Amino acid sequence: MDFTPSELMAVSGARELEDRQVVAVGIGLPMVASFLAKKSHAPNMTILFELGVINPEPIHTGVGIADPRVWYRATTLNSFVDILGAILHRGRVDVGFLGGLEADQFGNLNTTLVGDPKGKFHHMIGSGGANDIASCAKKTILIMRQEEHKFRETISFVTSPGFVKGGNSREKAGLRGGPSRVITDKAIYGFHPQTRKMMLISIHPGNTLKDVTSTLGLQPVVPSLVPFTEPPTSEQLRLIREVIDPERMYMG
Amino acid sequence: MNKLSSLSDAVASIPSGSHVAVSGFAITRCAMAFAREVIRQGIKKLTISQCLGAMDTDLLVGGGAVERLIYGGGALDRFGRLACINAGIETGSLRAEEYSSLSIAFRYLAGSLGLPFIPIRSLSGSSLLSQLQERSGSDIAFVNDPFSGERWLTLKPLLPDVAVVQVQTCDEDGNAWIMGPKWDSPEQAKASARTIVIAEHVVSTDVIRREPERCVIPNLLVSHVVELPFGAHPTSLYREYDYDADEIKKYVEATKKPGLWKAYLDTYVYGVKNHQEYLELIGGSPRLTKLRADPTLGY
Repeated sequence: MDFTPSELMAVSGARELEDRQVVAVGIGLPMVASFLAKKSHAPNMTILFELGVINPEPIHTGVGIADPRVWYRATTLNSFVDILGAILHRGRVDVGFLGGLEADQFGNLNTTLVGDPKGKFHHMIGSGGANDIASCAKKTILIMRQEEHKFRETISFVTSPGFVKGGNSREKAGLRGGPSRVITDKAIYGFHPQTRKMMLISIHPGNTLKDVTSTLGLQPVVPSLVPFTEPPTSEQLRLIREVIDPERMYMG
Repeated sequence: MNKLSSLSDAVASIPSGSHVAVSGFAITRCAMAFAREVIRQGIKKLTISQCLGAMDTDLLVGGGAVERLIYGGGALDRFGRLACINAGIETGSLRAEEYSSLSIAFRYLAGSLGLPFIPIRSLSGSSLLSQLQERSGSDIAFVNDPFSGERWLTLKPLLPDVAVVQVQTCDEDGNAWIMGPKWDSPEQAKASARTIVIAEHVVSTDVIRREPERCVIPNLLVSHVVELPFGAHPTSLYREYDYDADEIKKYVEATKKPGLWKAYLDTYVYGVKNHQEYLELIGGSPRLTKLRADPTLGY
């Protein structure tokens, strides 16, 4: 069955979600993954947008969470303090989806300052609610396209902390949770239980181990046996293509 | 009390150097007509705060009105980045104190409740924290929880001089309804010394009294009410009008080159005397009619 890397990323994200979980999402692949889970195996999941939106059912694609198209048919419209305060900070968010411009080996994310090839740093987006989700969710899932310059041993700015400097440094910083998965267009990673370094979990079909490691600017932990990622089902692909993102705005 | 005011009088009540909380979020419910009027009046050295940087603040920065920005990062969604803010940060012309969005919302919340500080789980372990400690150490401190002994990062409250909040509906006394998600607007208004409400519709207090549970900003917080249809253009106002994608794209293009940016300001800000002339410039009622929201969709 034919599917795109983006579709497998969305499906892999959806598979990490369980029924009745509370999930904080942004626009793009995380939203597709969450809607896919809710429309298939997790109908009682709660989807949150930070600015004050719970369980929308959009019928048109939006340019971001500030686009009223993605608030359509929400069950609650309230405020930032209501969502990221009284739900996230209170400890009720099970899974937060995050993306980044750069990630390091401990799952720390940079969306603030990125250097160009000449060594000049450019200010990008900053945090929004990402740092809050990274700090307060029970766990986070990172979804990013895999390129050598995006995954680096160290990054110049930590906007949203992962396992900070590895080991138990995250707990020492007073943070709960932490990243559980990194989903890219080549593979899925977890984190080594002691060192907290990125660890390869599965390789997307069609890629070799070399395809995976040669497109990373860091050395992941590679176990002796690494399976292929389970491909999407025809029903998952149908939901993505016909129901969730028919205009292919999020899936590219 | 009748607090109805022209936009120019409401803006003139803000001295240069004030701290202003503005209500935009990326490309929605932004105080755009307000920002244009601030620049026209030559108000300078403002401190602007906002939980997510939005188009209103980016324009204020690009128009030279802002000295200091206290915000949680942000972008114009898929249209682009906050180019004027980013350029100000990169050249050092803008003093930016960058937090997470919830940190800003909590700082307003502490201000709204009259609390001396507020603990937060965010920021720890990040470069945002180390950068803030270098740049504005006095707004961040650690305390021990008197009950558990646990160490907490705490934030100083934000107490802006004025909040400028774009809303759908209010009465002439300032009792205001915000439809749709409210992000940090309620806390901005409650934390600030006073609020300027910019409304799409001003209705009678009898209308407000029929559904008082919808009132987000009560009259006692409000100093000025400005009735200003399409005051958030080119950003959206939920249930009233959609964002104007073409005009946002023109803005984003203009921010890419200094020459183009000067021309943008000369056309859209300095080239018109007031908001009415601005609306005529962008195409008047034929264009605005196309942006009107579908009542069932809200956009």
